[in-house]
Formats: sequence, C-alpha cells, structure tokens
Amino acid sequence: MTNHNMQSPTQPVTARVSLPEAKPRYMRGIKEPTREEWCLGILILAGLIAFPFFDPGYRFLSLAVSTIFTAIALYGLSLQFGQAGIMSVGHAGIMGVGGYTAAILANQLGLGFWESLPLAMLLSALAAAVVGLPSLRVGGQHYIIITFCFCALLVIALTNGGTFTGAATGLDVGPIPGVFGIRFAKLDNMYFLCLAALTISIAVTFAIVHSPYGRTLWSIRENEPLARAVGINTNLHKIGVFAISGAFAGLGGILQTYYLRHISPELYGAFPSLYLALMIMLGGARPLYGPLIGSIIVNFLPELGGLDPIDSRIAYGVGLLLVILLLPGGVSGGLLSLYRRGTKTRHRLEKGRGLS
Amino acid sequence: MEIFLQQLINSLSVASVTILIGMGITLIFGLAGIVNFAQGEFLMVGGMITWALVMAGVNFFVAMVVAMLAVGLLGLTAERTLFRFTLTRPMNGFIMSIGLSVILQNVVIRTLNEVQKSITPPVTAVWTVGGVDIIAMRAIVVAITAVVVAVTYFGISRSRYGVALRASVADQDTAALMGIPVKRYVTGVFVYGSVLAGLGGALMIALFPITPFTGSVIIIRGFAVSLIGGLGNVGGAVVGGLILGLVDALAAQYGFPQWTDAYSLIVMIVILILRPQGLLGGTMGPRAT
Repeated sequence: MTNHNMQSPTQPVTARVSLPEAKPRYMRGIKEPTREEWCLGILILAGLIAFPFFDPGYRFLSLAVSTIFTAIALYGLSLQFGQAGIMSVGHAGIMGVGGYTAAILANQLGLGFWESLPLAMLLSALAAAVVGLPSLRVGGQHYIIITFCFCALLVIALTNGGTFTGAATGLDVGPIPGVFGIRFAKLDNMYFLCLAALTISIAVTFAIVHSPYGRTLWSIRENEPLARAVGINTNLHKIGVFAISGAFAGLGGILQTYYLRHISPELYGAFPSLYLALMIMLGGARPLYGPLIGSIIVNFLPELGGLDPIDSRIAYGVGLLLVILLLPGGVSGGLLSLYRRGTKTRHRLEKGRGLS
Repeated sequence: MEIFLQQLINSLSVASVTILIGMGITLIFGLAGIVNFAQGEFLMVGGMITWALVMAGVNFFVAMVVAMLAVGLLGLTAERTLFRFTLTRPMNGFIMSIGLSVILQNVVIRTLNEVQKSITPPVTAVWTVGGVDIIAMRAIVVAITAVVVAVTYFGISRSRYGVALRASVADQDTAALMGIPVKRYVTGVFVYGSVLAGLGGALMIALFPITPFTGSVIIIRGFAVSLIGGLGNVGGAVVGGLILGLVDALAAQYGFPQWTDAYSLIVMIVILILRPQGLLGGTMGPRAT
C-alpha cells in the first residue's frame, strides 16, 4: 500500500498497513461491511428469496414485484436525497424516461429487454442530469418545485406525442426474452429477476455511500460552501449523483414496463412522483434498507389493512405527517435508533455489572 | 383582434383565481417561511364548501364568506398542529404539506365523490362593450380580486402590522426583542393565505366546474405565479398571474391548445433559472437554503 501523495506526511498510514491484503484499485477506500451489516443483509436477502416459496398467491407476489422495482428507483432517490441532500418530487418522471425508452425502442426498432436495458438506464441518467442542472442555480424548495414541473411537462409531452409515445393510451411491450431457458413471463421468475436487480442496487448503494465519493456527497450535503472551499467540484458531483440516481430510476422504470407490459403517461405523473417522495420519507433516506422498507409499507399497507385505494391514500398521508413529526429519520431510522439505544443499554448494563 | 380581446378578458378572470392562490402562496412562503403544497387543496375545499352551501339554497355571496372562514379555520388548525413544529426545518414542512394535500384530496373524494361539481352562475348578465362580450360574473371576479390585492398590498406595505410582519421576516430575533409576537404573525399570515385560497375556490366554482383534483393542478400555477413574481411580493404575484394569463390566452389562440399547461411550466422554469429571486424580487424564501 504505497502512498503516492508526497505532500501529506501526516497521513495516518497505520490504518492502511493493517489491511490483510492489497485490494483492487476500485475497492480502495470503500469500507468493508461490518459483521452486523453482513448478517442483516444476508438475512433480508434470504427472506426475500424465500418469499415465493411460502406460496403467497398471485396477488401478493405481484405486489412484491411492484415493491421491488419501486425500491430500486427509490435507491437512486436515497442517494440523491439521503447523501447529497437534494430532494426531488419528479423521480417518477425519470422512471418514465426509462420505461418509455424501452417501450419506444421495442415498438420502433423491435429491440428486446436486454438490448434496451443499458440504453434505458443511460437515457434516464442523462435526463436526470439535465433535470438536475437547475439545482446548481436554485436550491431547496425552489428546486423541488422545478422537478415537479419537469415531471408535469413530461406527462404533457408523452400525452401529446402521437403514435410515437402512444398518446394517452400508452404503449405495449412484449415479454422479456428468456435466458438459459428461464421464462420471465412466469411471475416467480420475474420476481427473482427484480430481486437480483434489487440486490445489485443495494450493493452499489452501499459501495457508493461508503466510498470516498459518498463522503464527498456527504460534505456537500452538510456544508456546500465549505466543500467547495476545500477544492471539491460540487457542481460536477451534484450532476454526477443525479445521473446515478437517474440510472437507478431507469432500471426500476424498465422493470416496471416489462412487468406491466403496458405503460401510459399517468404512471409517471405528479402523484406517482409524490408517492415516491412519500415512500422515501416513510422508510428513511439514509439507512441502507430505508427505501426498501418505505416501498414495502406503501405497497403492502392497503392489502394488509384491507383498505380501498382512497382510504389507503388517506392513511399514507396521515402516516407521512406522523413520521415527519415523530420520526424524522423515517421508520428505518426509528428502528435503527431503537436498536442502538438497546445495544447501548446492554453495554451499560454489562459495564455496570462489571463494576459492582 | 376582437377574438384576442375576448380571450384576454376571459383569461383575466382565470388569472384572478390564479393571482389569489399565488398571493396566498407568496405570503405564506415568502413571509411565514412555510411552503404549503396543500394550498391548492385549500382552494378546492373552499370551492366544495361553496358548492355544498349553494346546493343547499344559500346565497352565493354568503356561501363565499362561509367558505373563506371555514378554510381560514382549516389553515389555523393546520398551522397550529403541523407547521408550527417544522418552522426550523422548512423542508420537512414542505413534505408534510404534500401529505396534507393527499389527505384533503382523498377526504373530499370520500365524503363527496370524484364527479365534477358546478353551480349555476350567481350573476348571469352579459355586457357588450365595443363588440366584446363581457360576462358579468367574470367582471365581478376580477373586481373582487382587485380589491383583495389592493387591501393586501397596502396592508403589507403601509400598515403597522405589515411593517411588523416584514420586520420579523428580516430579522426574527430583533423583531421579537422589539416586542413583535413573531409566531403569532406567522400564524396570522398562514390563516390569511388560507382565507385567500378559500375565496379563490369560491370564485373559481362560480366560473368553472371543479373536481377534487383541481387543487393539484392549480397549485402548480400558484407556485408559478409566486415564484415568477418573487416570493413575498404581492405586486409580483399580480404580475406573475397576468403573465400566465397572457401566455394562456396567446396559447389558446395561436399555439397548440393541448400544450397550454406546458407553456406556463416552461415560463416558470426559465424564470427560476434566469432569476431565482423572481422578476420583481422578493425574499429568497425561508432562510434561502
């Protein structure tokens, strides 16, 4: 572990020397998950893999698929909002860019899921970066309102797009072509495909949060003028995080498109966007599993509570108010602080016993 | 040209409703430091209350006043129970107001239904001036808006309450030391903005049918108006409302009508990027984060 930076003799090299072996270059600076984090991750993944084997029925399994592709898009929003501190209520619009890219490619050029996947993610990233440009000039609530406007503009454009975008009725796409004989028209297989994408999303989010890049974003969130003063190109990194966030949204969007097999503009309007913002606030933007928890709550609550759509929307609204007033870190943030308090009490108890 | 003039006068009455909601937002956002996304829903609730009362046989103008008071009460409740606790974190207040708007919209759908509501115009006369037909109800709407704008403008710029209010925006601590009850002013502005939304709703249902989803459409226009003009700037809200009205009239006449909504959004995005403080300048919003 040689340190090429000659100008920093005070660099604490001991921490690096203690590493067991040299890590590949791209892994450098990324914190290894702790044992607790590994355990929690494996536990959650095992639970999600086991879910279809409990015979949940078609309804619950399709809800689970929606939960997962929404969660994938939410991981993008969690990087943008939780790490860089820039909220957006136009995230469903970016999902729509991904979804419509795939659907238009399928209808105009006959491209399938696997060919259009990288293009959808790329275009979503690009769209998110463009929507992110105004954030360099206007901040806070002004920017949130701009994202809302972009989302409304996209819906108007899609509705007036004629046969190219299918106007108000939308577009149809075929099933995902099978790989190694796995047919994705079967809901179980679709679930596992989405789950694989979710696992990758969570891993990438973890890597970004714990990388030097994540710390850069953190510094922008906490004190942007200071970050700029120490030489961080804050504008570049903000656009960068928008693009990453957009790529996640694009992945979620294309999965949604191929799951529903039909998309229309109202899927990406203002209200779906507001619900994404609601989920991220409910679940918590910073804890690693916050977006997943938010998506699970919002997707499963109406079914489990036996609520009709109107009542469940009222319930979301009330839930949002309660979370903001009582648990500003979201449900997962609340659970985390409860867990920390629990372990702290245990440590204190053990220490107390040791002294007595 | 006459058709254009006709369009202009018609859009002036639409602009009035937009100005009323935009003024409410500009005051609440710019002076009280609260971003109230539920303002559009307040307007919709005001319209629905007016509709219910008029259907029950109450005179329109009485119903209008009741709607204003009821929405003002709604605003007072919301401020006291919700927004009071997020004054130091405006972003949380904003997200909370989104939740509130979802609740209000669905409570209205639950108690009434999704079908659009309309009343027969309380005044049905039509005046012809120089070849242009002026519907009397629209003229009344414009006149009421003009009076409210004038009262608000002079109230904020001339009266001692307005001066105290602006002082507490400029420097909360100093204003408090001078004996200004800052929190009470925040409540007052919020309630006043809500009353304006109630009035806007009552006037709107006198012109067009409204649905429970009207609020989420009008709120964007309200934000557009207040941000175009400059936050906390009553004159700015009027200018913003007139610009949007003009854009709409031109779009309806010469552009592609199905893109009408897009023009106002584009105008707003462009202005926010070029002049984040708005055309006429205002406070930069709640502690300009």
